[in-house]
Amino acid sequence: MLEPVKLANFFIVFFSAASVILFGAIYALTFAWSRLKNRPRLMPLAYAAYLGLFAAVIVLAWAANLFNNTFWSVIVLLMLAGYLVAPHAIWHLCVGTHAEDLHDEVVPIKVFQQR
Amino acid sequence: MAALGMLTSANLNGGQKLAVKYFTVAIALFGAQVLFGMLAGIQYLKPDFLFGILDFSVNRMLHVNAMVVWLLFGFIGSVYWMLEDESGIPVVGLGLGNLIFWIFTLAVVVVVVVYLLVQVGPGEQSSIWLINEGREYIEAPRWADIGIVVCVLAFFYNVAATFAKGKFTNIGGVLVMDLIALAGLYLAGMYYTPNISMDQHWWWWVIHLWVEATWEVLVGCLMAYGLIKTMGVRRKIVETWLYIEVALMFGSGILGLGHHYFWIGTPEYWFTIGGFFSALEPIPLVAMVVHAVFDAGHHKLKSSNNPALGGFMHTLPQINLYTHGTQWTASHGHLAFFGAYATMVIAFFYMAIQKWRGDVWMGANLVGAWKWKWAIFMLHAGMITMVMAMLVSGYEQSQIERAIGGSTWMAYFAGQEHRWFMQGMFWRQIGGWMFSIGFVLLVWDMITIGKRETRAAYVLPTETVTA
Repeated sequence: MLEPVKLANFFIVFFSAASVILFGAIYALTFAWSRLKNRPRLMPLAYAAYLGLFAAVIVLAWAANLFNNTFWSVIVLLMLAGYLVAPHAIWHLCVGTHAEDLHDEVVPIKVFQQR
Repeated sequence: MAALGMLTSANLNGGQKLAVKYFTVAIALFGAQVLFGMLAGIQYLKPDFLFGILDFSVNRMLHVNAMVVWLLFGFIGSVYWMLEDESGIPVVGLGLGNLIFWIFTLAVVVVVVVYLLVQVGPGEQSSIWLINEGREYIEAPRWADIGIVVCVLAFFYNVAATFAKGKFTNIGGVLVMDLIALAGLYLAGMYYTPNISMDQHWWWWVIHLWVEATWEVLVGCLMAYGLIKTMGVRRKIVETWLYIEVALMFGSGILGLGHHYFWIGTPEYWFTIGGFFSALEPIPLVAMVVHAVFDAGHHKLKSSNNPALGGFMHTLPQINLYTHGTQWTASHGHLAFFGAYATMVIAFFYMAIQKWRGDVWMGANLVGAWKWKWAIFMLHAGMITMVMAMLVSGYEQSQIERAIGGSTWMAYFAGQEHRWFMQGMFWRQIGGWMFSIGFVLLVWDMITIGKRETRAAYVLPTETVTA
């Protein structure tokens, strides 16, 4: 079930795990900023951050020997899919829960994707 | 109503008068947490410091226990603060609430005195009941454990009976359900068994589920109320997000317990459960960032009261194998408790002071605003310095003690004596001093803020409470 990390890969494991968090935060930030300010030009930056996150997850999975086990390989795929759709889902929730507010405002907020 | 800026209880309702008592004790215990944390930090650098007088084990125990209890006092005070406002009627059984406050405070004083004076000697059944239960983080003797449950049950009665008699808002409903778990889950930490794996199994219910699940929902309720009061956010929106938080807690928080069960002798399937929920951990971070950007753009951050991650990296079992019980845990714990709980209780302190001074102005151009700004800056800067420093020491422990040394007893000491570890501990102490200065400024500010202010508070547009 668990294959310990090789000593040579020790730093890579921590660095890639930290990169997952950092790229995830940058992806979420640029994604939300692009939608909020209605600047589609920022969206490629968001997806570039996701690519960074993708690479970090793959490196982490390799260094932590996750690909040697089916369960952990499935977890890696779920992580990648989950991180990709999470900002979209949360944005929909934000817009949905504030729908009444957005409707009432004299100057509607500039959201890229309004209901 | 007394003059603006004057501190008088005539400005408060019954529940709020009780709340400020809880807040006062909470601040004193917050100070104790900082003090004993500093002493324990010095002992990392100079192990002989206060040896035999106030040992590291006692300082560390007081540091952690003071944190648990000051936050608990802060939460209980915050709930009493909002109770009459939220339910629309005076607190039911306020006399019992006051009596319980004094009993609870007296019990805390007795436990602290016993921690300070009686901690050396044989461990027996009587010492479990009277001196120290021996479970890390929840060392309080058994009589105090029972006392905590009784106090929380009385508190539950006050809250549930008040909402039942008055208006049962959605915040009130979630809160009442959560308080049942708050009293019930603490019982798991009192279950005695000589089997260490079983003991740890139940102990984690208190550490993870009591602190990380029931406290988080409680803080969610407080934050919902706080957002309505300070930012004027619509009740419908905050209540929707409160339900989303509860759903997330049921969906991931409860079985997130799995990452504590990797190495205590529980079955191997906990690797599967813990690993799966570990992979979910960055999702709330992503959600928080998206929502914060949305809200910042949507509300322009208008407020009537201005003062008011590492989980993923080490909950994967492949990484936790090397980080468990090192300074990684301390780093994660410091940041998580301060960010999730301490900041929320501090926000309620300021909300209380504002009303206590007769709803005085606490917005822009506040007289003496430098104090709260510097207090908040120093608290945050100190905390970040401590967290980063402990991360460096933790990384060194993982490398030297675990990966190279193979977790032997000798490797443990090699890791503890290494230069990188000591450098991390040195910078942690610097961060501790910064945090201490922030705490002193915070207390000074809370005593003086609004004193010379003559303007009334900015009134946010309100809406009718929906039952």
